[in-house]
Amino acid sequence: MKKTLFSFLLLIFTLSATAQEYTITGNVTSEQDGLPIPTVNIIVKNTSNGVTTDFDGNYSINNVPQNATLVFSYIGYTTKEVVVANGNPINVALSEDVEALEEVVVIGYGSQKKKEITGAVSVVSSQTLDEIKPIKVEQALQGTVSGVNVTTQGGAPGAGLDIRIRGISTNGANGPLVIIDGYQGSLDILNPNDIDTITVLKDAQAAIYGTVGANGVVLITTKSGRKNQAPKVSFNTYTGFQETTRELPLLNATEYALLLNEAYAAGGQNLPYPNVSGLGEGTDWQGEVFNNNVPIINHDFSVSGGSEKITYAISGSHLYQQGIIAPKKTDFRRNTARLSLGADISDKINVKANVIYTYLDRDAINDSGLGSVLFNAINTPATLSAFDGNGNFTLVPSTPGLGIEIINPLAQIDNTFNDYDLRKLNGTVALEYDVLKNVKLTSRIGFNTSNSEGKSFAKQVDYGGKVFDVPRSSVSQNAINDNNYSLDIFGTYNNTFADAHKIDFTVGTTVFKEFGNGLFATGYDVPNNSWEFADIALAEGISESRDVGSYAYDERRLSFFSRLQYDYKGKYLFSAMLRRDLSTKFGPNNRVAYFPSVTAGWVVSDESFLENSNTLSFLKLRASYGILGNDQIPSNGFSSLLSGEATYVFDGALVNGQALGVLANPDLQWEEAKKFDVGLDLRLLNDKVDITADYFVNTRDNLLISNISTSGITGTSAPGSGSPTVNAGKVENKGLEFAINYKDQLSDNLKFSINYNVTSLENKVLEVNNSTGFLEGGGFGVGQPAPSRMEVGQPIGYFYGLQTDGIFQNQAEVNAHPSQSALGATAAPGDIRYVDINGDGVINFDDRTNIGDPIPDVTMGLNLSLDYKNFDFVVYTFASLGNDMVRNYERTLSDANKLNYVLDRWTGEGTSTTVPRVTTGATSNNVFSEYFVEDASFVRIQNLQLGYSLPDQFTDKMGISKLRIYTAVNNLYTFTKYKGYDPGASNGAPIGGGIDAGFYPIPRTYILGLNLNF
Amino acid sequence: MKNIKYLIASLAFLTSISCTDDFIDRDTVYSIDSENYFNSESDYYNALIGAYDMLQSSYVNVLLGEIASNNTLCGGESATDVIGFQQIDDMIHTPVNSNLKDVWNWMFAGVNRANYIMEFQDKTNFPGKEIIIAETRFLRAYYYFELVKWFGPVPLKETRFELGDETSIPRSPVSEVYALIEADLQYAVDNLDYTAPQVGRVTKGAAQALLGKAYLFQDKFSAAASILENLILNGPYDLVTDYDTIFENEGENGIESVFEVQYTDVEGAGFGCLQCSEGNVAVGFSGVRNYNGPLFTSGFSFNVPTQDVVDEFEAGDNRKDVAILDIEAWSASTGASYGTGYEHTGYFNRKYLPRVRSSQAQGDLNLTNPNNYRAIRFADVLLMAAEAFNRGGIDDTKAQNFLNRVRERAFGNTSNNVSLTGTALTNAIYHERRVELVGEGHHFFDLVRTGRGTQIPGFTPNKNELFPIPIEEIQFSNGNWQQNPGY
Repeated sequence: MKKTLFSFLLLIFTLSATAQEYTITGNVTSEQDGLPIPTVNIIVKNTSNGVTTDFDGNYSINNVPQNATLVFSYIGYTTKEVVVANGNPINVALSEDVEALEEVVVIGYGSQKKKEITGAVSVVSSQTLDEIKPIKVEQALQGTVSGVNVTTQGGAPGAGLDIRIRGISTNGANGPLVIIDGYQGSLDILNPNDIDTITVLKDAQAAIYGTVGANGVVLITTKSGRKNQAPKVSFNTYTGFQETTRELPLLNATEYALLLNEAYAAGGQNLPYPNVSGLGEGTDWQGEVFNNNVPIINHDFSVSGGSEKITYAISGSHLYQQGIIAPKKTDFRRNTARLSLGADISDKINVKANVIYTYLDRDAINDSGLGSVLFNAINTPATLSAFDGNGNFTLVPSTPGLGIEIINPLAQIDNTFNDYDLRKLNGTVALEYDVLKNVKLTSRIGFNTSNSEGKSFAKQVDYGGKVFDVPRSSVSQNAINDNNYSLDIFGTYNNTFADAHKIDFTVGTTVFKEFGNGLFATGYDVPNNSWEFADIALAEGISESRDVGSYAYDERRLSFFSRLQYDYKGKYLFSAMLRRDLSTKFGPNNRVAYFPSVTAGWVVSDESFLENSNTLSFLKLRASYGILGNDQIPSNGFSSLLSGEATYVFDGALVNGQALGVLANPDLQWEEAKKFDVGLDLRLLNDKVDITADYFVNTRDNLLISNISTSGITGTSAPGSGSPTVNAGKVENKGLEFAINYKDQLSDNLKFSINYNVTSLENKVLEVNNSTGFLEGGGFGVGQPAPSRMEVGQPIGYFYGLQTDGIFQNQAEVNAHPSQSALGATAAPGDIRYVDINGDGVINFDDRTNIGDPIPDVTMGLNLSLDYKNFDFVVYTFASLGNDMVRNYERTLSDANKLNYVLDRWTGEGTSTTVPRVTTGATSNNVFSEYFVEDASFVRIQNLQLGYSLPDQFTDKMGISKLRIYTAVNNLYTFTKYKGYDPGASNGAPIGGGIDAGFYPIPRTYILGLNLNF
Repeated sequence: MKNIKYLIASLAFLTSISCTDDFIDRDTVYSIDSENYFNSESDYYNALIGAYDMLQSSYVNVLLGEIASNNTLCGGESATDVIGFQQIDDMIHTPVNSNLKDVWNWMFAGVNRANYIMEFQDKTNFPGKEIIIAETRFLRAYYYFELVKWFGPVPLKETRFELGDETSIPRSPVSEVYALIEADLQYAVDNLDYTAPQVGRVTKGAAQALLGKAYLFQDKFSAAASILENLILNGPYDLVTDYDTIFENEGENGIESVFEVQYTDVEGAGFGCLQCSEGNVAVGFSGVRNYNGPLFTSGFSFNVPTQDVVDEFEAGDNRKDVAILDIEAWSASTGASYGTGYEHTGYFNRKYLPRVRSSQAQGDLNLTNPNNYRAIRFADVLLMAAEAFNRGGIDDTKAQNFLNRVRERAFGNTSNNVSLTGTALTNAIYHERRVELVGEGHHFFDLVRTGRGTQIPGFTPNKNELFPIPIEEIQFSNGNWQQNPGY
């Protein structure tokens, strides 16, 4: 009764207020970028009185009673309600609803609401890209997406990165398929600011990509304009200063001389430095090669918008980065221009076009491996000066103690000349046709075409009897042309029956072709021995050997695919996919491949028993299983070609003939990936907490093992020949992924979000069906057996060497231990004691075993963002635990410089149990063993950023919608016990990765930047 | 549901105009299918170059032939520098030895490149084809002779080996391997002339010499004596007067050279593929470490002569200073500087030391030395003939004559001539072979074929006469092949 009375009174009150009606005007903008939003729906709550905003985000609504509620709603934004107190204008800022379950996620040949997705799919938004400021797109996936690991090939400008989705599954190519707006592309040269979202398909959801999807799929959606949107102009710029993140602690001149004296004395030789006084610190070679305050600059500019039928986006960018080593000779320049257009030709037909032009210029020095600049900086003794009395580069003496590989790194930089340019055009034209109600046809063609030119000049130079001496100058040039296109034609049919059974059916075909050629030539006797004259046009000297070459290729793939998606009331979800692939890479006996998969999900939170839960707002369980393929194998492996080298000397001159190339395998087929995944998506506390967890088992079967070791009687060791590529291996990756995101608005001024993700991974090789049962790779030291193996029961690419058991402290211990002389020298006190693994009473190479592997057990990311008033703060961290790395940047010669850990060496009984003695005599201490394997676990603060946006009252006056300045530090600090430059680097090789020959460290970069929107 | 039919129909239409499975049928661009070759004379000639190419990889046989013997120590940078070489030097090698694997792999690659031609020998006819076939068969015999010397019984096939043959084709007894070698060489003898169409190609003389050598290795003395004497009498070969000139660049392909493996330094090479080098890799390996001085250039100080072989030279033997470089004496007289490597003896294998290079030389200079390998010298032929006549009990006077032709050049007079007979003559011939041919890769095999292996420190009789089959090959054969005795 009381209630009724209250209602009645309220009604009276309301009616009386009716007399007070206002016309409310105002403006609606986006909270994220401050830009006006057109066509926002505004209605007076519980009435039919409504209007929409105009092109500039302005609105005017009549007859609004006092205390009525205005509801502002727009797709993709959180709906906002404002109570009308008086007739003053009401300006509203809507926030983008990026996390909403209604968000649409691309899944390949279509898209799906996030709520309905039944596969393991992760999305990285443009906001994350904004915050991380990656130079290359791949960096944005490190630590932000569970199940994805990104390793750098070094810190040199423009150096490559490798993405591994759910571990290393093959000894072959492990990189994921990259699809840009529907066509096959590549990430490495994209401008990160052109990207709207990155979607990662990690499980059988990718099966729609059949024989190219086994390594996972990265789907890139580029930014486009929005219909009915006023031109939105954005300009971003930053300048950064780079320095090295690490210098190795090397011996100074005095320490070095004393150590050498000790080693020479132990070897029974005369002291090389009878008088060490006055040597001092000597030359800091790392200091000589590393530079500080090395610039990086980036500008990008974009305009986007749209009318009722047209959308457009135009952007351009410029990035220039110099290297912290040899800034003038290692630099990277990337200019991009992009145009995106969309048009509704009719009610039923929409066309889209998107074109990106990229220009890239990269110069590099030798930055990895034996002979790299850093290798020389590490190994050149501090006792040598950089320049001699005449200002010429000092030569590193060619003595047995220094060998013939170490040269003055500054001279090396000075004598390095090369240039690489790439011009690339890629894009797509797509047509969507709503044939009938519920039936839509899509036809699109995507293309990449690139031309690159490379030039390197080998200056005539004499380092005094080193392997890098060049007796005759030459210039080598190449021109490479690569093209591909993907043609997709597919149709979708969707309908809902009886308001409960929803069906989505997709069927179509993709035609893919890649073709291109390369041309190489060398000219000799460059005029004046100078880079300025280094061109074949001027280098007219000829060689007696053939110094030109070329290649051409033409690879094709034809695919048919279909997908059925079904759900019952959005609660029970199911999808099935089937793809049929033909590829020119497969042998005649295995031309056609079929790839089936199924996924299913159950939205538990929609069940009545959970519908009214206060804590749990969403819960979905999902599972998927499917078979995918990998066709990234050498071309023409099924045919036997005369591609071997046949060169001999008749009449005193070279003659070239023909010889057998790599042996054929007509049974060659794709690798087969069986992917199983169960997972759950959970949202708690009004969506403030968002949890995703997955367990996966990926088994890669029929691994393509190229140059499989085979009996030598087949002649496969001949120049240019090789063993066939055979489907002969199997690898399993199992793991858990867990990601939790918590975000909250604590007050009007303070909001934050924290994201943590963790992935565990267990890698095991199940089969290697060659005769030896293992594959080996990688390199360690000089002339030592291969250090890495792929072998049954072990992780792929594990390190295979001798296990150590401390240091022999005295002769009695040596005598009590099996003889180590088979390793090359009889052991003495102070030498490393190796473990007799096979127990045969002798230490030899048969005692090698698993001494570590480069695959991390666990990787995780912890990312935090905080907004307080006009300040914003983000920090991104990444951790990798359990990955081992091999120290291989030391030239193990008596006179090469050393890291200062040798100061803790064994010098007598009880002095050290970890570092062996020094001597110029023969020892077995440099044989590949645990001594050289280090735990390279690390935690890295990848990015730290603090920004400040000018308050609206200032920006409004200036006619701009947003002005933000920020400062950031990339790669602020890496916590690790690893001795080398970069525990996170790898050459990316599945067998032979994680061997550190002196990786160029990633730079620490201090950035100052500006974002401007109007 | 009508809609679906509509959709499928339109898609089917679009698909049919776009593509069928034929789309992926394409020829490999700009390439030659190996099974569709041998259509002209030049095809045969080109494939023959491929078969010759593998001769260059036999540098490792030469280098190891010395290191394995008591002529030289392994040397190198350190005790672990090329561990496979070191172990062979110390006679502690096992089936796990990547350098022995190289010998096996590269010689079989040579066999296979020859067999590729033999497999298609009847496909196309042209005048003079028998010359190419004869050269091919010589090369196959050359590679098989290396294999039988190193490994004893080996699998035989007269067409290309295919994958899987390792599990089915047995290791043929040594006698069968030699039977194929003899047949191939006899064909070459019958079809070749003493002059080849190009310098570096096989001649009748080379085939006769190798056949004589193959007979000698089987102790078929009368057959050896006959063919070698025929060669000595009818061939165009003679001893070079000045022993010193033989091993210099100007001495290449001279009158004494019966068969010579050709090398050049005009093409670069790297450690990644030593068998790909057009240069003589063994020369750089034998060079003086960190050498700086006249005449020679530096190398890796492997293959250093022992005092034992230096002492083997008699007083007055002019060959000693040609064959052996005494680095201390040389340094003292020329001011040359050098480094000392592992197992430094002070001596180097002067015949095959790296010489000062031309400006055309391509790097890595250590791997591209152009020194031809004088595989069969006329002096070797004379000594083999002497040995055949003596050990076969055929004619010691002829044996003395052949031996003394070599000695007369060595001493520059006739006063050191040998007039021994019987076993004493045999030992004199053995001595002469060692000093005449030191540094040329023959000594180890001369020792083991005559039962004198125990002269090598660490040598185990009934084991070390042969090298072990590489462990990988035993594993590949899946039980088809047994390891050599003792390994």
